[in-house]
Amino acid sequence: MIRLRDGRLYDPANGIDGEVRDLFVNAGRIVAAPAAGTHIDREIDLRGRIVMAGAIDLHTHIGGGKVNIARAMLPEDHRHSAFASTSQTRSGSGHAAPSTFATGYRYAEMGYTACFEPAILPVNARQAHMEMGDTPIVDKGGYALLGNDDFLLRLMASGADQQLFNDYVAWTLHATQCIGIKVVNPGGISAFKFNARKLDVDEPHPHYRVTPRAILATLTRALHDLRVPFPLHVHASNLGVPGNVETTLATMDAAGGLPIHLTHIQFHSYGTEGERKFSSAAARIADAINRQQNVSTDVGQIMFGQTVTASADTMAQHRNSHHAHPDKWVCMDIECDAGCGVVPFRYRDGNFVNALQWAIGLELFLRVQDPWRVFLTTDHPNGAPFTSYPHLIRLLMDRDFRNQKLAQIHPEAAAHSELAGLGREYSLYEIAIMTRAAPARSLGLADRGHLSAGAAADITVYEDLPDREKMFTAPEYVFKDGELVAQRGRIVKSTNGATHVVRPDFDRGIEKSLRDYFERYHTIAFDNFAISADELGECGSRESLVHACARGVR
Amino acid sequence: MSKQPTGAQEFIHVPCPFCGLLCDDLRIAVAERAATVLANGCAKSQRLFRAIADADATPLVNGKPATIEVAASNAAAILREARQPVLISAGTDVAGMRALLELAERTGGIVDHDAGDAIMRNLLVLQDSGWISTTLTEVRNRADLLIVAGTDISSRFPRFFERLFGKFDPLFTTREREICFLGAIPQDLPTSLKARATSLAVGPQRLGEVFGALRGLLAGRTLTAQTVAGVSMEELAALLARMRKAHYGVLTWAAADLAFPHAELAIQTMCELVTALNVSGRFAVLPLGGTDGDLTTAQVTTWQTGFPLRVSFAGGLPTYDPWQHSAQALLARNEADAVVFVSALDYAHAPPESDAPAIVLGRPGTRSGDRSVFIPVATPGIHHAGHLFRTDNVVAIGVRKLAESTLPSAAQALQTILGAMEKQQ
Repeated sequence: MIRLRDGRLYDPANGIDGEVRDLFVNAGRIVAAPAAGTHIDREIDLRGRIVMAGAIDLHTHIGGGKVNIARAMLPEDHRHSAFASTSQTRSGSGHAAPSTFATGYRYAEMGYTACFEPAILPVNARQAHMEMGDTPIVDKGGYALLGNDDFLLRLMASGADQQLFNDYVAWTLHATQCIGIKVVNPGGISAFKFNARKLDVDEPHPHYRVTPRAILATLTRALHDLRVPFPLHVHASNLGVPGNVETTLATMDAAGGLPIHLTHIQFHSYGTEGERKFSSAAARIADAINRQQNVSTDVGQIMFGQTVTASADTMAQHRNSHHAHPDKWVCMDIECDAGCGVVPFRYRDGNFVNALQWAIGLELFLRVQDPWRVFLTTDHPNGAPFTSYPHLIRLLMDRDFRNQKLAQIHPEAAAHSELAGLGREYSLYEIAIMTRAAPARSLGLADRGHLSAGAAADITVYEDLPDREKMFTAPEYVFKDGELVAQRGRIVKSTNGATHVVRPDFDRGIEKSLRDYFERYHTIAFDNFAISADELGECGSRESLVHACARGVR
Repeated sequence: MSKQPTGAQEFIHVPCPFCGLLCDDLRIAVAERAATVLANGCAKSQRLFRAIADADATPLVNGKPATIEVAASNAAAILREARQPVLISAGTDVAGMRALLELAERTGGIVDHDAGDAIMRNLLVLQDSGWISTTLTEVRNRADLLIVAGTDISSRFPRFFERLFGKFDPLFTTREREICFLGAIPQDLPTSLKARATSLAVGPQRLGEVFGALRGLLAGRTLTAQTVAGVSMEELAALLARMRKAHYGVLTWAAADLAFPHAELAIQTMCELVTALNVSGRFAVLPLGGTDGDLTTAQVTTWQTGFPLRVSFAGGLPTYDPWQHSAQALLARNEADAVVFVSALDYAHAPPESDAPAIVLGRPGTRSGDRSVFIPVATPGIHHAGHLFRTDNVVAIGVRKLAESTLPSAAQALQTILGAMEKQQ
């Protein structure tokens, strides 16, 4: 048994805001204070230290085809960041598109203990799980991509009953070993294959004649009916297009009041005001989120510097490919299922649009009032590599620092932004909500993201430094499942994480239609498509942790 | 197709690991000492599924039978003495690659694939300009024009035309599906396709010129030449017109068939033409590969090290060099002093000729040479489950265990060597 003594706890799931308490850890779990005289193997004095649950990143592109294309394409991203193995760790490399080992170590060193890959193409799920299986220490999970697949769109075009969609969604979650469903540019990835270059929320798909709005309604309904805790994860239409604020508001509306999560909303909060016809619509978006309790979001903050964008949204990636820096990019149509696009990108603070994107992201963080419904992401690596989180946290917690940075960006962008007038500073309690308690609750991870007895002992201990960037860069201790894995920003033990999944009940009758469909049209047999729990282990997962599908989890 | 032997166990929807198509519709009967492809096989799958008899295979040290412990211990001793080992995959699954990379990291070795030159022709283009590509199910259901550059496809991928352009109704395209070969129309093309196939006589080495001219024409440039690589400007203009008219065109090549210096420049020109066609229409490339686990090797190497192939751990950390880290070139120059060669799929491969001692993990029947350690290994997709990547680099197929084997998998054999190294330290 380990005793973590006298740390200052920030545990929002239990309403604990900076109280000094002891924590006891036994066999990988947080346990209640033991009876007097119980043998304590190790006691760590945490006086003056800050204690939170391990952080959870619910949107980070860490594995799967598009990430590996980004890696292979960018030796220049890796050449200067390669590192050797140690007695505890393997070698690796990478900054914007780090190798799997680098990804696991860098996350754990920052106090993160779970990462969720948000765009798993069902047909590419094996690869995603194999890469995540080689991503050490952190737990993993994924969201399966639907809404551009021919099977669903044809079913919608035929006017099928909602029950069939529910069964198909549930079957997909089982077959891909995922915990949620994502839709990317609903119908738009498919429409691009038919040579469409845009698809608005109420525009019929050129082939199936179904609208993105209908796709959103069908999928939000299915997840609600199946009682899947995690809401539909939506990468909305018209990513990056000036004026897409209307699209984004229409996307929220399409959920019809059912739970919906709009991801990397920074890229979807643009107006068309001003000489350059590009402006911040953060206020309107934040107002809409504040009003609608069924909506949650993550920001997808951009940071200045070199990164790479990797997305299933071929329509948007092809549209933006002329911005590629360095000048090389890939787009791929995939298996009548979805697609992927990889475009390296350099965000520059002297560029008006990039500078305004930076300010829009921060505006959204500061304007959305409820930290339980806005999560901290950079859409790694699309806005910036995840290693920039400590810097982002400081921007949110330290107004003077933020305004210093604002003074360095393109002056017109700064002048166009209302960021300077936003005085809000996030508290440690709010940071703990948005990086721990809220993502765990949204995903339905009952025993993660908090510090009560019975929770997994995923615990991060920080020095209370006034420089929050420094504080969050290298926590003093990181425990994963009760084992000390990192100390002062260095890995001291490498472990293997588990995979979080849901497996809702459904009518297996759907498999007959799917079998027939695969045999007629696909190049992989139905029998070879689904990933079993055993196969997930062969992919490299320690174990699958199945979370309950039940109402009232949220 | 063959008859089912008596007393055999039958498997359906069996994935075949032996070429990049990874067809997974085979029907196979497995009796005690033989696997027989009953349906949907090709000559290659029949040859490589058949040879499952392995009970007599034994490790060899310098040609003499040994236990696996002795063989692993000898392998560890070779690697301990080696100053610059090279580790070559000539066919293994994801688990085998994971273990090979661990061994490379431990020994400061250089990792490559036996077909490294061919893989690099495509990778260099990916790293310099990229492409717009597609996958097999898209081609099957969407392509109304297929341009085949410098390959007959079927000698490397026997069931390509049957599976993608066969007798079935595609989901989307209702047009007559056209195929144009830059080269010759293959003799063995199915008769139903021959009628629709056209060709332009262009040698592989001159593909770059042809596609450069097509790019120029597409960009509206005036070309003064009368012919390019023996093809008239009228023929080129007609081909370009067909490409522009296609609803969803696909341009394909097999890098292994473009074996001439700087073939990557020809491939790059092809990719750039396709990218330019997408300004107003849809067209995609389909680079063909995946045989002998080449894409599997590149995928695992990429996610574990950040670099796709030809990675050296000589300095502890992974470094990448597409030219200096060619295993074949290193061995040809006698710059490597030990070879680890893994060939779990096809027994016809052998390590490159060199003076360096070789550690060969191969299917029974693989030639290993006199100065060597040979460890026979089981075959993924016959004796154990595993994962391999298909030609389109997107679909990973789980291959299955059909028969028992006393042999270790390549991954297990490599772990045994790693264990022996640990003991000798």
